[in-house]
Amino acid sequence: MPAPTAVTATTISSDPQSYEDEHVHAVYDEIAPHFSSTRYKPWPIIARFISSIPAGWVGLDSGTGNGKYLPLPLDRPGEIWTVGMDRSRNLLSIARKAGEGDVVREVVWGDVLGNPWRNGSFDYTISIATIHHLATSARRKAAVQRLIQSVSPSHGRGLIYVWAIEQDGLSKRSIPSEGTEDDTQNPGQDVFVPWVLASQSPKAKPKARSKGNEDRLPEQNEISKPPGEAAEGEPQPKVFNRYYHMFAKGELAALLYEAAESLGLEVGPKPTDQITT
Amino acid sequence: MVRLITHNLLACHAKGCTTNNFPLQFKDVSIELREAEFNADFLKGLLPRIEWKALVDAARQLGDTSLPLEQPEMVDDEFLKNLHHVLLEMHIEEGAMVCPNCSHVYAISNGIPNMLLSEHEIA
Repeated sequence: MPAPTAVTATTISSDPQSYEDEHVHAVYDEIAPHFSSTRYKPWPIIARFISSIPAGWVGLDSGTGNGKYLPLPLDRPGEIWTVGMDRSRNLLSIARKAGEGDVVREVVWGDVLGNPWRNGSFDYTISIATIHHLATSARRKAAVQRLIQSVSPSHGRGLIYVWAIEQDGLSKRSIPSEGTEDDTQNPGQDVFVPWVLASQSPKAKPKARSKGNEDRLPEQNEISKPPGEAAEGEPQPKVFNRYYHMFAKGELAALLYEAAESLGLEVGPKPTDQITT
Repeated sequence: MVRLITHNLLACHAKGCTTNNFPLQFKDVSIELREAEFNADFLKGLLPRIEWKALVDAARQLGDTSLPLEQPEMVDDEFLKNLHHVLLEMHIEEGAMVCPNCSHVYAISNGIPNMLLSEHEIA
């Protein structure tokens, strides 16, 4: 039996919608406060993207989680406005207060497969570590279509991040090697990534994290304490398995290309994954 | 949160509801006023992309008549202050938004609008 903290392969056993309800939505609602306490620092690549946005632009953070990107850019507060959307109501309650002080953020309870916006009404959109929670390729493509439709056809910009199979040496996760990553029809791999909910410290402070990892690998440092180290008599930590589709190399670029084409858009030079190693 | 900046972006996305699905109409709303930091550069940059009539109508529905029916050609400080207040300082905390076309009701609770539809309801 694998350790509770190991990433394990999985297959979608029910219809994708109820599968996501059970293995994504319910989990995030349950772990929201703990999850948020470990997700306080923006990744520099996304912070740089947001810093490049001109004054007066309005953006959508699709899958905003605890809203850590909503206050950015910190050096130009209020010059741009990012609206956060998420499927988890409990995370949204946290996102609403994201950032320093008592500034209230704009958040909307919604699904990345829905389209509750005037077409093309946003100037930019980000979707960070979200689309990989959708359980079929068709659903991931639909989510990308929604993102494209949400931004202005004349000047819209977007940034999508997902979890990749290929990791650099900094990753602490070991990825099961069996699976379908060489299958061109079904690239990528479906996995469970466990979340260990530490039961003893409700007001656990965010832990200092080693520099350098933050850039690329959001998911690696979330386990505050391996269950094996729990002292006798302490309640056992609860483990939640979150579903992820880990993307193969080139898979996100291909998905973006298909989504754009299916909307009748002309795509420039075929995009490639921007892998920063 | 629903402030009018967000309301100006939201549209009904129920299946088959593709025309006259914007702007959503407020119903039984309660409002809180909270000061927000004024940023003229943001407002000036945003102006060309606001759906003006929808904003003015929504503000009037909420009892604020400070904005002119037509977007002014000359932007002065008083206008920007009024725009700032309408867009960013009026928070709709409770109530609902109703689609003018299909009458679908999107509830607002604790300042968060519920735009979720079940998958068979999505276009």
